[in-house]
Amino acid sequence: MAQANAAMLQAKAKKKKVHVFDIVNYVVFVIIALIVLIPIWKVVVDSFNAVGVYQFRFWPEDFTLNGYLTIFTTVRLYRPFLNSVVTTLLGTALGLILSTLGGYVLTQEEMPGRNALSFFLLFTMIFSGGMIPEYLVMKQLHLVDTIWILVIKHGMNVYNLVLMKNFFEGIPGSLFEAAKIDGCSPMGIFFKIVLPLSKAALASIGLMYAVTVWNDYSTVQIYITNPDHVNFQYKLRVMIMDGDTPTTAYKVSQNTLYYAAIVCAILPFMAAYPFLQKYFVQGVNVGAVKE
Amino acid sequence: MSKKQNVATTSTGAPINKKPLGTRIKNNLGYYVMFLPVLVFVIIIYYWPMLGVRYAFYEYKLRNISWVGLKNFETMFAKKEFWTAFSNTLQISITKLLITTFTSVLVSVFLNEMHNLFAKKSLQTIIYLPHFMSWAVVAAIFQLFLSKSSTGFVNETLKSWGILSQSIDFLHTKAMWRPIFYLINIWKETGWGTVIFLATLSGINPELYEAADIDGASRLQKIWYVTVPALMNTVIIVLILNLAKVLNLFESVFVLYNNRVFDVSDVISTYIYRQTFLTAIPDYGYTTAVGLFKSLVGCALVLICNYASKRIRGRGII
Amino acid sequence: MKKKVLSLILSTAMVASLAACGSTSADTTATTDASDTQAADTTSSDATATTTESDTAAAADESYTLETLNIVVDGTLTATVESGQDAFKAQWEEAVSEKLGHPITLNINQLDHSDYSGTVSRLLTTGAPGDPDYPDALIMSATMLRQYQTTGLLWDMADAYANAEFQSRVTLPSVNENMKDSEGHLYGFAPTYGNGCVTYVKQSWLDAAGMKIEDIKTFDDYYAMLKAFSEKESGTYGVIAAGYGKLDEAPYINYMPEFWQGAYPSFYQKDGVWVDGFTEQATIDALARLAQGYADGVIDPDTEEAGTKQAREKFFSNDQSTSEGVFTYWAGTWLRTLTTNMEKQEVDNELGDNRLVQLAPIQEIKDTWGGYINREAPVWVITDDQDGSNAREQAIFDALLETMLDGDRVQTLWTYGAEDVHWSTKAESFSTNADDPEKKKDYEYAEGEFHLKQAPNDPNSIWKKNHLDPVLVIAPLTNGFVDNDELVQAGNKFFTENCVDAPAAASCPTLTENEAAFVELKTTLMNQAVTGEITPEEAIEQYKAELGDLSAQIVEELNAQ
Repeated sequence: MAQANAAMLQAKAKKKKVHVFDIVNYVVFVIIALIVLIPIWKVVVDSFNAVGVYQFRFWPEDFTLNGYLTIFTTVRLYRPFLNSVVTTLLGTALGLILSTLGGYVLTQEEMPGRNALSFFLLFTMIFSGGMIPEYLVMKQLHLVDTIWILVIKHGMNVYNLVLMKNFFEGIPGSLFEAAKIDGCSPMGIFFKIVLPLSKAALASIGLMYAVTVWNDYSTVQIYITNPDHVNFQYKLRVMIMDGDTPTTAYKVSQNTLYYAAIVCAILPFMAAYPFLQKYFVQGVNVGAVKE
Repeated sequence: MSKKQNVATTSTGAPINKKPLGTRIKNNLGYYVMFLPVLVFVIIIYYWPMLGVRYAFYEYKLRNISWVGLKNFETMFAKKEFWTAFSNTLQISITKLLITTFTSVLVSVFLNEMHNLFAKKSLQTIIYLPHFMSWAVVAAIFQLFLSKSSTGFVNETLKSWGILSQSIDFLHTKAMWRPIFYLINIWKETGWGTVIFLATLSGINPELYEAADIDGASRLQKIWYVTVPALMNTVIIVLILNLAKVLNLFESVFVLYNNRVFDVSDVISTYIYRQTFLTAIPDYGYTTAVGLFKSLVGCALVLICNYASKRIRGRGII
Repeated sequence: MKKKVLSLILSTAMVASLAACGSTSADTTATTDASDTQAADTTSSDATATTTESDTAAAADESYTLETLNIVVDGTLTATVESGQDAFKAQWEEAVSEKLGHPITLNINQLDHSDYSGTVSRLLTTGAPGDPDYPDALIMSATMLRQYQTTGLLWDMADAYANAEFQSRVTLPSVNENMKDSEGHLYGFAPTYGNGCVTYVKQSWLDAAGMKIEDIKTFDDYYAMLKAFSEKESGTYGVIAAGYGKLDEAPYINYMPEFWQGAYPSFYQKDGVWVDGFTEQATIDALARLAQGYADGVIDPDTEEAGTKQAREKFFSNDQSTSEGVFTYWAGTWLRTLTTNMEKQEVDNELGDNRLVQLAPIQEIKDTWGGYINREAPVWVITDDQDGSNAREQAIFDALLETMLDGDRVQTLWTYGAEDVHWSTKAESFSTNADDPEKKKDYEYAEGEFHLKQAPNDPNSIWKKNHLDPVLVIAPLTNGFVDNDELVQAGNKFFTENCVDAPAAASCPTLTENEAAFVELKTTLMNQAVTGEITPEEAIEQYKAELGDLSAQIVEELNAQ
């Protein structure tokens, strides 16, 4: 930044200041982009590179797929991956169902007790039982050491519910009125009017749930001890921290396997991200900037 | 919070409000049924565990549970480790918040000056990326990059440039841990942090810039006198929103710390975790007490921030 | 504002009321919790059918049938999920069902958690006998056994052990006699003796340095060897281990015994009196030696972070230019495993089974301990449901431990693994590294000849053993199945000739409560002292300042026992 400032001061002294400023701006941004991209690119390249090198390379020196083959042929590695896929799908579905239902009901201003229900939900954002009481409850529900813990824990997010409610409030009220006059039940209105009009919101909030469940590591760390039920993030972590790599028929260096596992852990969202970026951003904007 | 856009409902439905409560409940029966699953989940996931805070007043070792009153809190306040964790939480959390907010503002201002729309969009896409990586992944990447092994990117690169003569164990060095933690946070969250600032900037009235042009302001002057002031309100809101959450620091620290740097990195949640799950025969009562203390302080912080938010922008954060 | 006040009142009221109501009904809450879960089990899962019977079992002692057996194991059950655990389980169920006369299901929970003892405490604290995942039996280290044997959670199996059918075959009765507490209770059963670590040296590195293993007799010789190894190439080091010392697991000084010598960085009995070995001069000297080794670059700095797997993988890694010449690791079978792994990584192929040589204990170790340390054996424990009846527990003992040493079919399962998966007596021939003519090795066996097969997860290596080491077991197999691997036998012979028993692990309430704090602080201080951040003296001073009072209290408690 210091360089940039110096350059800008120089630019000021010159006549064509606008032009120089733009160049500086571009340079700064190329640097920022590189800071973000180089680590990611190195991870991807090294995951295909049979030899472990410290340098940054644009292409693998010794191309291999063994890292990925190992992951998808070793039960201790592909099972966590499948667990991640299953829990993410179910968690997102459950999260969407509960937050649309809750968000929709809370838009009903004439419903008696609406404020009490709102407060009942919002209070959970202020006070929580804490790690151990939560653990003991999940234990009583027999959810400890099962993959369902990931679905249940993330299935109900009050913040997302409130976001959903904010989306719904953007739907013109006259539509509801018309439907009510036509004799639509609350459920009917919900399915026929609210949901079809909220596709963008469903996409945004669904993505938020999906990212949360897929990326969750600490829930597994706390609740799951059985290696059959861990998710991929946890497995990745254990592999790199404890050096706990399984022995397989494929000849693969530890380094290659680690990087391949990292790529697998980020792949689903990296692949979808460019197409879904606007939905990701939308959620934040509605949540925080809505004024 | 609500903008009352469906005023229509209330205005046309005004007579409904005058109906007796019983009728109104009956009319809305469908909604109550729809809310039921939400209610059940909230009770199970949030309210049932709240009953468990009673263990804060018990000794809970293996399966022996006995009432000890406030002893757990006395133990807690007497423990050096607890206070280390508490002050670390505040220091790390707040520093991190200030640093990442600052970098986000900086990047937003620069992005705002970018007039080539394609370049701007591409850059946004790139800098948002790390936000969607989990902490487990980010820690994995940086642990591999910072490692002392022969494939450690950072050490070996610095050595080949002649900057370092010997590898440094970055994450295991007390003096280095926090700066690296902040840098990783900057890498991960700066881009995403710009979303909210860019939204604010897109709302600046272009006439302000035009007026500044007429006054003959340079671009730097325009940034300083138009862009930055326009952002200040959002900055304060972002700070308040996040200040309420400072005690929630867990995963990011958990995946990056190690016993060499406990002194500077241990936070309340990691302290609770270790005391509960990594101790030979833990006292769940004691760790519940620490958790309860954390919850209560967190609760107070949320309410303070909520109050501040209401004063500043007319609406609360919850 | 209203909301703020309201929520404050609400949260404080909730806490206060809960606390208040709890105080009167503390015990009832705890018990209803337990019965709740039991009630839930009966409806939720068939697996619990057996354990919920425990209430009735008290009345009818004899009629207890154990239908499911939940065991929790660590990595010492080498038949992991990738390595044929299903076959092991199926064959175990078949054999044991036959013996017991009723079907039995075995559930194995093999924790891959790096923190076994923490996970076990979680299972035992939050579960109760009757839960579908509550362990009936599990493996514990000697230290864990000491911590748990006073809690009432474990079953005293002294009688069951005394009356066991396998008693007639036990050749090493002292192992379990030593496990008994002062009142004769036996809470953990050790099917094998403990084993320990010996120092392995790469022959090729010795040759390159012009040294001979017989000449390494003292610490100075040893250090000179490490020095030569660390100067071999720019990235090489003398020695690596999983930590400079393993302060969370007795006997602590396993991995760098030459540096630790006579020191014992924990509580131990010295001439009949308990002392805190960490504060002794011997520990300071040991730390100073380690620090010197670290500063001189003879100790691989990866030692600090490495887990056991990382350490050994670096030792036999394909890239020997960043490896080490010396590695102290488990004796016996591991000599074969390390050699095989070096072979797999194509290290020193020309040396064959002579790749590694074992270093006899150096003089300093002989003068203090007398030899390499034979740790206290890990044990199997059985959980007690505290219903006053021994029926369930005896049934677990009969199903698991009695059969484990039956000398025949089940013991073979625990020793070598599953038939026709891990071992076989059928005529067959196979080769490892079939597609590499240089490394290809052919195996041929006649019908009826016992032999180990290719490892299920790696066709290029031969399976070694399952949970029980045939050489360490207290009651040997009677069916004559012997893996006559010369290397393993040589390794075991070497260890038995050069070992002494480890000091007994300390246990008292204060220690158990603060064990984690001790391990944490000592490990941190040790690492700091070794890497030169602080001097060994400062480390001990800091330890005394922070935990000195507790340490004194523990020593007092221990001596009062």
